[in-house]
Amino acid sequence: MSNNIEVSVKRVNDVPVIGIKGDVTAVTGVEVKNAYETVSKEGTEKIGCHFDPGCYINSGGLAFFIEIASQSRKNKQTVCICGLSDHFLKIFKMVGLTRCFDIITDPKDAMKGG
Amino acid sequence: MKHVTEFELPSTLGSEKIAMEKVSMVAESMGFERERIEDLKTAIAEACINAMEHGNKFDQNAIVGVVLEPKGNALTIVVRDQGKGIDPDKIPRKILNDDGFPSTDCGGLGMFLISNLANELFYETKPGIGNEVKMLFYLEH
Repeated sequence: MSNNIEVSVKRVNDVPVIGIKGDVTAVTGVEVKNAYETVSKEGTEKIGCHFDPGCYINSGGLAFFIEIASQSRKNKQTVCICGLSDHFLKIFKMVGLTRCFDIITDPKDAMKGG
Repeated sequence: MKHVTEFELPSTLGSEKIAMEKVSMVAESMGFERERIEDLKTAIAEACINAMEHGNKFDQNAIVGVVLEPKGNALTIVVRDQGKGIDPDKIPRKILNDDGFPSTDCGGLGMFLISNLANELFYETKPGIGNEVKMLFYLEH
């Protein structure tokens, strides 16, 4: 079973940014969700999510992002996504996730406060 | 590389990466563009995961069979499991709610992706043998 994932959280201009490296799957996606829930408890209105260029996301992993989208909508949070490859950006669009998240092409934009 | 490639995978999550690597090599040799190869990798991975999970129920004695067949301007991918059957009515045609946002009740997401990425998709249940998903991807220039 693949457990190849590294999830980290750092703060840039007081915005929590979740870094994701590796495979986001039905097994590992819970680590991303846990990181989201941890930073979410702090009451932050803006959260960044930065993907390493080599990330692989399958349907099991997408399901976690759909959950995060649903929760962030309820919490009135803005989740900014950056670093997604063109392919996974297409997949996010296919399943409606680009409507839920702000897609940022320049990582510096994801880290701006406010 | 114009010959048929056949291989078997165990019903273990993670082994779909072997199929992704093999389809990438075959598709590259056929001249598929980089982005289309990414589509192929996602589609075959999802088909293998479905076969392991829903077909074989992660039974370690059950295998997933994969066939890659380049023919003319198309690559045919067949993924077989040893499960009981696929109900086509359970394959979601859309996974968005009426408000345009994705549904959290998103079972069938893998099949939804496959149906959106492949040029053609067929599924068949062979009683006593298993399920077969066949995907066709056309080489477009």
